[in-house]
Amino acid sequence: MFESMMHASFWLSVLQIIAIDILLGGDNAVVIALACRKLPEHQRNKGIAWGVLGAIALRVVLIFFALQLLALPFLKVVGALLLLWIGIKLLQPEHEDEHGNIEGSTHLLGAIKTIVVADAVMSLDNVIAVAGAAKGDLGLVVFGIVVSIPIIVWGSKFVLKLMDRFPLVITLGAALLGWIAGGMFVGDVALRPWIEGTPSWLHYLTSVIGAAFVVLLGTWLARRREPEMAPIVELDLGEAARQPMGDNR
Amino acid sequence: MHKLLIPVDGSANADRAIAETLRLRQATPDLEIHLLSVQFPIDGHARSFVSQEEVDDYHREEGLAALANARRLLDTAGVPYSHHIAVGHVADTIVRYAEERGFDRIVMGSHGRSGLMNLLMGSVASEVSRRSRVPVTLVGPVQDVA
Repeated sequence: MFESMMHASFWLSVLQIIAIDILLGGDNAVVIALACRKLPEHQRNKGIAWGVLGAIALRVVLIFFALQLLALPFLKVVGALLLLWIGIKLLQPEHEDEHGNIEGSTHLLGAIKTIVVADAVMSLDNVIAVAGAAKGDLGLVVFGIVVSIPIIVWGSKFVLKLMDRFPLVITLGAALLGWIAGGMFVGDVALRPWIEGTPSWLHYLTSVIGAAFVVLLGTWLARRREPEMAPIVELDLGEAARQPMGDNR
Repeated sequence: MHKLLIPVDGSANADRAIAETLRLRQATPDLEIHLLSVQFPIDGHARSFVSQEEVDDYHREEGLAALANARRLLDTAGVPYSHHIAVGHVADTIVRYAEERGFDRIVMGSHGRSGLMNLLMGSVASEVSRRSRVPVTLVGPVQDVA
């Protein structure tokens, strides 16, 4: 690993992994915040700690399987297609109807369960993207997991704020996923006979094509589905609006 | 009656906007004061695990926390006001809220933020003042008289 640290491509992978963790980790952070919200004060930190621990253990297992699977023929092609889809989906506006009904738990075990189950589902995109960006380098994979921890624990507000102030990060992130997908595609063992003998810059070409594909198709689809000027979402404050300040402290 | 919108994020900026409003009120006692906290929308996968009521509760709680200090300042000064919580892109929501509900002015504190953060995040206040058709009064840290 230390030898590879001399190369620019290593640092490029490091940057890619950090970007992926920020971009795809915000969701997990939000779920943790929501799941632990109703816990009594003294249990909240415990809930967050165990939830994060469970989520990370799960992520290690998932990424281990992902690395094994990606070595099999054609599965990098599948992984690349999945990444293209994740990238395009990232650019789509919200569906109002996609709602779960898991209640925020008032007891510790329930909250931890919510966090871990949610993370199992929400980590898939992160895991595939990190495995793709790490190109099989285990050191980088571990790095990716370590970097994602603080983002999951403290990052929810930061990630939301970043996306609010700087919506371009979402487009850049989608492009990054397309880029990784393009490189992953030509890295598949099954395609090796065809790749052999082609110039070494081929994977840059496919990466660029992947990035362009995701951004163009993603923005086109988003524009088609964008509802014109949704009304402002204002919450009904009900009683709280009439309460004098002293009562909600 | 002059309708005044004060977007509040729970920071010292908001406190400055309140101080400015109290000053404005001495000249124009006939002010209708509205506080607004805008919460970041929660999207992506997170929503498929949490019900709408949960998300709303969360926004309400965070919004009230952000509003608390501004409300206390106004309560202490004995000034009537109403307060609101909306969800959406922050600058966008403030601008549209003011325009759609016929406000006469937006008063907000602007960050005296250091260079790098400002470069990265830009400032909500400057985006609002750039895009709003409703007049905007920005209260910078320099004018701090509170």
